[in-house]
Amino acid sequence: MSARVAVTVSVNGTTHRREVEPRLLLSDFLRHELGLTGTHVGCEHGVCGACTIRLDGAPVRSCLMFAVQADGHAIATVEGLAPAPGRLSVLQEAFRDAHALQCGYCTPGILMTVSAFLEETPDPTEEEVRHALSGNLCRCTGYQHIVDAVLLAARRLREG
Amino acid sequence: MSGPLRADALEKTTGRALYTADIRLPGMLHAKVLRSRVAHGRLVRIDATKARAMPGVHAVLTREAIEPGTVPFYGYFIKDQPIVALDRVRYEGDILAAVAAETEWQAAQACAAIEVEIEPLPPVPTIEAALAPGAAELFPEPPIGMVPHYGEGASAVARPEPNVCFAFRYRMGDAGAFAECDHVFEDEFRFSRMHHLHLEPFVSVADCSRGRIEIWSSCQNPFPLRKEIARMFRVPENRITVHVPYIGGGFGAKNNCKTEPIAVRLSQMTGRPVRFCLTMEEGFLTNTQHAAILRLRTGVTRDGTLVARQAEILLDAGAYSDASPLVAEKAGYRAPGPYRWRHVDSLCKCVMTNTAPAGPFRGFGGTQAAWASESQIDMIARRLGMDPLEIRLKNALSLGEPYMPGESGIDSDLGAGLRLVADRIGWRSTNRQPNRGLGIALGFKDGGGVNKPAQARVKVSTNGDIFLHCGTVEIGQGARTALAGIVARILGAPAHRVAVAPIDTDSVPFDQGTNASSGIAVMGQAVAQAASRVRAQVLEFAAEMLHASPAELALEDWHAVRGEERVPLAPLVMRHFGGTGFEFSAEGFFKARHDPRAPLETPCVFWEIGWAAVEVEVDRETGRVSVPRLVVSGDAGRALHKAACRGQDEGAAIMGLGQALFERMVYDGTTLLNGEALEYRAPLAEDLPAEFVSITQEQGHGPGPFGAKGLGEGAMLPIAAAVANAIEDAVGVRITELPITPERVLTALQARQGRSP
Repeated sequence: MSARVAVTVSVNGTTHRREVEPRLLLSDFLRHELGLTGTHVGCEHGVCGACTIRLDGAPVRSCLMFAVQADGHAIATVEGLAPAPGRLSVLQEAFRDAHALQCGYCTPGILMTVSAFLEETPDPTEEEVRHALSGNLCRCTGYQHIVDAVLLAARRLREG
Repeated sequence: MSGPLRADALEKTTGRALYTADIRLPGMLHAKVLRSRVAHGRLVRIDATKARAMPGVHAVLTREAIEPGTVPFYGYFIKDQPIVALDRVRYEGDILAAVAAETEWQAAQACAAIEVEIEPLPPVPTIEAALAPGAAELFPEPPIGMVPHYGEGASAVARPEPNVCFAFRYRMGDAGAFAECDHVFEDEFRFSRMHHLHLEPFVSVADCSRGRIEIWSSCQNPFPLRKEIARMFRVPENRITVHVPYIGGGFGAKNNCKTEPIAVRLSQMTGRPVRFCLTMEEGFLTNTQHAAILRLRTGVTRDGTLVARQAEILLDAGAYSDASPLVAEKAGYRAPGPYRWRHVDSLCKCVMTNTAPAGPFRGFGGTQAAWASESQIDMIARRLGMDPLEIRLKNALSLGEPYMPGESGIDSDLGAGLRLVADRIGWRSTNRQPNRGLGIALGFKDGGGVNKPAQARVKVSTNGDIFLHCGTVEIGQGARTALAGIVARILGAPAHRVAVAPIDTDSVPFDQGTNASSGIAVMGQAVAQAASRVRAQVLEFAAEMLHASPAELALEDWHAVRGEERVPLAPLVMRHFGGTGFEFSAEGFFKARHDPRAPLETPCVFWEIGWAAVEVEVDRETGRVSVPRLVVSGDAGRALHKAACRGQDEGAAIMGLGQALFERMVYDGTTLLNGEALEYRAPLAEDLPAEFVSITQEQGHGPGPFGAKGLGEGAMLPIAAAVANAIEDAVGVRITELPITPERVLTALQARQGRSP
């Protein structure tokens, strides 16, 4: 058993301090230490994208990082997207309205990927959206409803 | 508006939705297993002494730890899969032992310390190897099992020959029909194997610490799971509770026992809750689609009339039977396709090999059958110089025409759907570009399961809050939204007034499982009946209170409505039953009627159809096939939720497109080479055809509530054949083996060039 290491991270604006084993994955840290189970774990190899979070704004696979590597960084997870309990962000609303989810297991990771994408590309083409989504696996939808939702969210965000 | 908002959208977009993978109980231990690296062998010795002494370890389950008197095997018709290896191992990945420890890491470390001695037996990697004379047998002794009582024309045998666990046969008409044909065509097709790749892994938590067995599982059929656990562990069913939270995808894989028996046994041994969660790599080793060899012999007259078909289908069942007998039944039965025949003789065998067990997969034998059948129909059309659309229109069963003697009538206009997708792709267009081609195919399956009962309960509180209790799990298909919508519509309530209760097997009425596209056509009927009965109760009560007759009253947002008069019901309820209130409650039931003439016990509840038309472009230099346009269509009967229907068809179609072009489990002998997400190529958003059209037809002939039918599998069925058909249209080569890789296309192009320089 390795010695525990102190980690301080800001998650969705709240600072957390924990002593963790060096091999603890960031995804497991979020899910099990902080109880933020909205970050899902699919492949644990950085392929499926279900565990995507934002680290200092950049979308990253939380299963490919150790919790200790996040020390001192700011993390955003799906739980931080909604403006208030029971309310949804524009992006979340677009996913709801365009039926862009089925089983919902890939949804949090896709939302985190897309939230970063739309900040950089506020007026994307359909092709750009497909490209942006191609790091996240969705086995249920065939992607088209998700593409539609991203385009809808982009439009709503641009129109304010 | 394409339907109400999904009931689960808020939870699923905020990360609040709870899946089995998220369940944590106080004092919970974690399980890991040791898997065999030997594909086939005799388990000589297994010694867990060192593992038991390791830090954090609470129990090690090996064959010695199976409780005397219990039955450590599971399966469907045939129960041949042991909870851990007993005398043999049968595939690379077969479970030898399981450890429960404080952490997964400790459990994994302990697994590595278990000493195992296996005496290798000759490996049986493929269907051909399994059927070769003198092949090693996976099961020298017949396992426990049964064969269903089939109806007219259908029959089955368990273990008819070595390495075949089950064979299904369907025969109709006189084989002499072949003699009257102008042509008899024989073709062979190969179907590759996919993994379901559900993103939520196989996972369960079992708690046997309180004198009962309580299970949380990512499971498609909680009641059959309960029955299986009861049988194996000799525990009464009323001492077992199965909870099913949201499921992160299944596509068939999550039927019946997977992780549950080991979690239960380890919890029994430790007196602590045990979580057993597989990795995705272990998922690949746990359940797969059936690879297959399909041989079709089809007789036709020179005008393109289909007359007789003989089919031989060999399914690769892998190392354990799992649902293979049921899949064989369906593959065999569906092999003729939805066409008019005078004679059919279809045989399907489940062949055991030393590879991962195959089981239910979206399409359930229908995908294999449609790949071969819809490819061959096209090949026959081309050989006869006919239009592939015309040969289908000429031979397709008409609306209402029974599929086979004793069967229900086809409840979609097949020709209308064919014309719809053909028109949308521009079938008649003369503006053809080089190396581009069009293909069409018609997928079909009998939907709704076999002889499947469903029960549901609807309750309404004093204030008009509506509860729906039913066992259909929410696996992404939108069942909760659609079924709640049925109840709301019948009770005249807004959709948000209906809540679907969480599933636990103690309080929810019995259901056989969420499979066979049965949620709407089977469970939907039970739900509608329960809602109608509650409605009758409420109207009768209101009529009595208002001195009216029930027929005069309507129900609208928890008011009794008589003409212009709207009487709120809550005060009436409290006046009659007292201020603490009351619940109206009723149950509904549905099962297809039993009919000895029906080949598969009952006539099919509904026919699930998938139509596809596709345009491909073939790169002659590389053999690469791209799909610029795909038109897919299903028939919802009447759509209860249009967006959900479209989503089902699109998801199925893209899964089919992956299977057509690249997705497969690659074996080298008995070793799986790509059993992980990085190596296993599944469709991505970038793989979508530039133009992807999904049309939900509402032909209106469904047996479900308001004319609805089931969806979700149909659109997968025609895709691969449509792509192969389009490739022949584009470049004149016929690919008969999936997936249609660039190598295969290039080889076929080169062979063709060699023939006609």
